[in-house]
Amino acid sequence: MAWYQVKGNDSDTVFSSRIRFARNLTGYRFEAGLSTKDAEEIISRIEGALGDEYIKTDMCGLSALQAQSLVEQHLISRDFASKKTPHALFRNDNKSLSVMALEEDHIRLQCILPGLSLRDAYRFACECDDKLDSALELAYDESLGYLTHCPTNLGTGMRASVMLFLPALKAANMIASLAHQLSKIGLTMRGLYGEGSEPHGCLYQVSNQVTLGASEEDILHKLEEAVQSIIEKERKLRQQLSGEAAERRADRIHRAEGTLRYASMLSSEEFFSIYADLKLGIALGLIDSISDETLNTLLINVLPATLTQNAPSAPKSGAERDRQRAAFIKQALEVSK
Amino acid sequence: MKCENCKNNDATFFYEETINGQSRSVRLCAECATKMKAGEKLFAEQGDAFSFPSFTQLHNNFLDGLFGITAPNTKGTAKSCPGCGATWNDLLKSSKAFCPECYTTFLEELRPTLRSLHGNVTHTGRAPAGRRAQKEKRDRLASLKAQLGEAIKAENFEEAAKLRDEIRGLEKE
Ligand SMILES: [Zn+2]
Ligand SMILES: [Zn+2]
Repeated sequence: MAWYQVKGNDSDTVFSSRIRFARNLTGYRFEAGLSTKDAEEIISRIEGALGDEYIKTDMCGLSALQAQSLVEQHLISRDFASKKTPHALFRNDNKSLSVMALEEDHIRLQCILPGLSLRDAYRFACECDDKLDSALELAYDESLGYLTHCPTNLGTGMRASVMLFLPALKAANMIASLAHQLSKIGLTMRGLYGEGSEPHGCLYQVSNQVTLGASEEDILHKLEEAVQSIIEKERKLRQQLSGEAAERRADRIHRAEGTLRYASMLSSEEFFSIYADLKLGIALGLIDSISDETLNTLLINVLPATLTQNAPSAPKSGAERDRQRAAFIKQALEVSK
Repeated sequence: MKCENCKNNDATFFYEETINGQSRSVRLCAECATKMKAGEKLFAEQGDAFSFPSFTQLHNNFLDGLFGITAPNTKGTAKSCPGCGATWNDLLKSSKAFCPECYTTFLEELRPTLRSLHGNVTHTGRAPAGRRAQKEKRDRLASLKAQLGEAIKAENFEEAAKLRDEIRGLEKE
C-alpha cells in the first residue's frame, strides 16, 4: 500500500507532511559538471549505501509517460523526469521514502507521510540520511553546513513542508494575506495544482524558505506553529457557516458526489473541484460512503500520465482521456466499497 | 489592488520576502507575472510541488529587475577553485557552485549573497557522524585545556597532572 492510501492525522485539513534533504558527495563536481563515468559511479555508490531495501529505477530507461507518472506521485521533480544524463530513483515499498540520485544535488532524499506528521517524517528522513552518511563522505563545512549545488540550500539542506487543504480560507479570500503573513516569518506558501492565481483542489504547500543559520529543530518548530494556527483558522471558518450558506455548501458537496459517481466524462479541472468539495464533505461528516484515503488515492491516480498508464490504451483525444478518467473513478469506487 | 508593473490589470500574484529585517514585496497581474519570466510561477505551480523554490532565480531574474538590489561584489578575482577550476566569474554566471570546494575558495565573495539569501550565515544543526565526533572531541579538548589552565593557576598540580594525561590520551586517539 502506498503512503497516500493510509489515513493520516488531521486529515480534515492536512494532505501530507514532507521532509527533504539535499546532500552531495565530496570528491566530485556538483551535478552540472559531472562526467558520465562519475555520474554512474555516484549512482552505484548511493545504491550500495542504501542497500536492497530500496527499489531502484534507472530513470534513463523510462518513457516520458512513466517518468511523468512519478512526478504525479510526488516521487520526483519535473526537472528530474526530463533529465537526459544518468540519474536514478531509489524508493521504499510504500513510496514514503525516496532518494533521487543526481537531481540538482547528488542526493535529494525525501520522506512524505499522510496527514500532519512532520516529526515522524523527519525521523525517517534522518535514518535514511544516517545510512547514507555512514557509507559515503558527504560534503559539509563547519560554518556553511551541508554543501549544495545552489547556495539557496546550504546549511541544513532541509525543506520541511506541509500540504494543507484550505477550502474555507480560500472561499473567504484569505489565502493571499495568509501567504503574505507567512512570508514575513520565512515561510513560503504556494498552490499545488493549477496554473495562474487559481490553484485547484484547495491544496496549498507551506515550507521553510531559509536553510542556513536555523537548525532543523528551529525550522520544524516554526513550521508546526504556523501550520497549527492555519488549521485552527480553517476549522473555525468551516464551523462558522450557517443557515442558507451552510445548506448551499451541503448541496454543492452532495452534487459533487453525484458527479463523481455518475459522470461519464470528467476533466482533471472538474475533478479537482469535486475533490475539494468531497474532501470537505468528509471532514464535515456529510459524506460517509467515500473515505478520505480513497479520495486522496484518486487524486494521485487520475492525473494524466498515471491515468494513461493504468488505462487499457493511450487516449487519442482529450475527450477520450476524460472518459477514461470517469471510468477509472467508477471502478475505483466499486473496489473500495 | 492594481498590478505594480503595468498599473492596469488587477494584481493576482503576490510575492514578499523579509531578509535581515528588510521587506520587499511585489504585486502583479497574471500577465506581467508570466512576462517577467520569473523562472517559476510565483504563487501557483502546476503539478510539481517538488522542486525547491528557486529563490535565486526569483531573486536574480525578477526582484533584481524591479528593485535593483545590489548585486554581490562583481570584482573578479584571479583565483580558481582547486576542486573544479571554476573562477568567480563562472560562479556569478551560473549563480551556483560547481563543486563543494568552490564554497571554501570563494567564501568571501559569496558572503553578501549568502547573507541576502539566508540572513544568518553560520550553520547550526545536523552534521555528518564523522564530523559530529570530531566536533565533540574538539569541544572536549578545549574544555579540558581551560580546566588545566585553571588548575595550574590555582597551583593544584595533582589535578593538573590528571588533566594533562587526559588531554594527551584524547589527542592520541
Ligand atoms: Zn500587470
Ligand atoms: Zn569548485
